[in-house]
Amino acid sequence: MSKKRILIVEDEDNERLLYKEELEKENFDVVCCPNGNEAVAFIEKENFDLVILDIQMPHMDGIETLGRILTKKRNLPIIIYTAYPQYKDQFLTWAADAYLIKSSDLSVLKDRVKTILSEK
Amino acid sequence: MNLRNVTTFILAGGKGERLYPLTRDRTKPAVPFGGIYRIIDFPLSNAINSGLRKIYIFTQYKSLSLHRHIREGWNIFSRELGEFIDLVPAQQRIGEDWYQGTADSVFQNINILEDEKPELILILSGDQVYKMDYRRIISAHIANKSDITISVFEVPIKEAHRFGVLKLDEHNRVIDFKEKPSNPIPDPKNPEVALISMGIYVFNLEILIKKVVEDAKRIDSTHDFGRDIIPSTIGKNNVYGFRFIDENKKDTKYWRDIGTIDAYWEANMDLVNIDPLLNLYDREWLIRTFQVQYPPVKTVFSGEDRRASVTDSMISSGCIISGGKVYHSILSPNVRINSYSEVVDSILFENVNVGRYSKIRRTIIDKDVVVPPNTEIGYNLEEDRKRFYVSDNGIVVVPKKYKW
Repeated sequence: MSKKRILIVEDEDNERLLYKEELEKENFDVVCCPNGNEAVAFIEKENFDLVILDIQMPHMDGIETLGRILTKKRNLPIIIYTAYPQYKDQFLTWAADAYLIKSSDLSVLKDRVKTILSEK
Repeated sequence: MNLRNVTTFILAGGKGERLYPLTRDRTKPAVPFGGIYRIIDFPLSNAINSGLRKIYIFTQYKSLSLHRHIREGWNIFSRELGEFIDLVPAQQRIGEDWYQGTADSVFQNINILEDEKPELILILSGDQVYKMDYRRIISAHIANKSDITISVFEVPIKEAHRFGVLKLDEHNRVIDFKEKPSNPIPDPKNPEVALISMGIYVFNLEILIKKVVEDAKRIDSTHDFGRDIIPSTIGKNNVYGFRFIDENKKDTKYWRDIGTIDAYWEANMDLVNIDPLLNLYDREWLIRTFQVQYPPVKTVFSGEDRRASVTDSMISSGCIISGGKVYHSILSPNVRINSYSEVVDSILFENVNVGRYSKIRRTIIDKDVVVPPNTEIGYNLEEDRKRFYVSDNGIVVVPKKYKW
C-alpha cells in the first residue's frame, strides 16, 4: 500500500519541521509549505490525502485558504491546527474535518490524522 | 419572534432556459410579468408586506437587468435603521468559481451569516409568482421547534412527478422527501393530491451552516437546496412542512413556478379574466414594482372604420391605442397600437410599436420591437417558425429588439 500524502501549511519554520518529522515517523509522506497561496497552488497540481492548516499566516489566512482548497478539491480532509480557539466561531472553519488546538504533545494531532485517513 | 432576527435570502440566479428567448438577455427573476411587474417583485413584495427588512438577493447569470430593476425600484429602505435589500453577485470570495448551485451561493457568502448571526434564515426563490405572508411559516417554525420548515403546496397527483414530493405525518413533520419521483406519494388527507416543496424554507442558523458546509464538501452534490440539502435532512433533523396559506384568499390556492413559455402565457392570461386567482388590487397586500413615469393610457380615433378599441385587457401607462384593436391582451408601458391593426391573446412588452394593418395573435413580443405595417404573426405558425420561437402550444415569441 502506498504511503498517504499529507500537506502541512504553516508559516512557522520550526513548527513545520517538527510536524513533518513526527508525521514521517508514522510512515506518512509529508509535504510542507509556508503560506496559503502556495498551498492552493500545490493542491491544484498534486494529490494529497489530507491537509493540516494553520490559521494565522501572512498573505492569505487559513480560513480563506480553507475555502479556496474546498472549491478545488471538494472532499479533501482538512485539519485546522491553531493556537487560537476563537476562530471556531467562524463558519467556514466548520467545513474542516477537525479543529485542534496546538499543543506540545503531538499525539492528539497524530491520532486525529490516523482516524480521518482510516475513515476515508 | 422579532423579525429583526430573520434574514431573507432570495435565490435569483436562475437561468430559466425553458423561458428562452425571454431569458436571452435577462435572468428569469427579471422577466416582465403582468404588464408592469418583474417576477422578482412578487417574493420581494411578500417579504416587505411580511415585515421583513433584511434582504439579500443572490444573482448570477445575465443579472444587469435585474440589478437595474432592484436599484431603481427597490431602493426603499433606511440602512441607518438596519434595513436593506442587497444584491450579491457571484464575487469569487471563495475560489474562482461561479455559484455551482443555490446551496453554493449561500456557502460562498457564508461571511454574511457570520457577520449578522440571525436566528432564522428565510430562503426564497426569485422566480415564482404568488402571495404569501411569511410570518405564518416563521411562526409555525418556532411553534414546532423546528430545524427546517418547508412550505408545501398541493398539486394534482398526476402533476407531482415534476417536483420534490413530501410526505407529512399528522403533526406536519416531514417523514419522506423524493425529488421528481415516478410514483408520487399522495397526501394522507386527500389521495387526489400530493404535497410538493415550493422552494421556500425557514432554517435555524446553525443547521443551515452545518448543512451548507457539509454539502460544499460533497463531491457528488449538485449543491442545490431542493436536490441535495433537503433530502439529506429528512429523518436526521427536525423538519416540518407548512401548508401554504394564500393571501389571495380564494378557494383555489395560487402559486406559479413559471417554467415554460406556455405556462408564462397562461399565467399572464389568467390576469385578464373577470376574477383572476392572483388579485393585484388588494390594498392589504400590494405588489410593488419600479415604473418609469408615463402619461395615462390614451385612445384615439372613434370613427366607424378607424376606431380604437380595448376589451378584456390590461394596458399600462404611456400606451397609445391609436385606431387599433386590442382584445384579451396585456400591454406593458409605452406600447403603441397603430390604426387598423389588431392584437389578440398577446403579451406586448415595453416600447413595442405595432404598425398599421398588422395582425398579432397568441404572441409575446419582447421589448423595443417595431412591428412593420401589414405584418401577421400567430396566424401561420409554419411561417412564424422560420423567424421566431414557437412554443409547444403555438405561442410565438418575438425576441427583444428584433429587426425586420
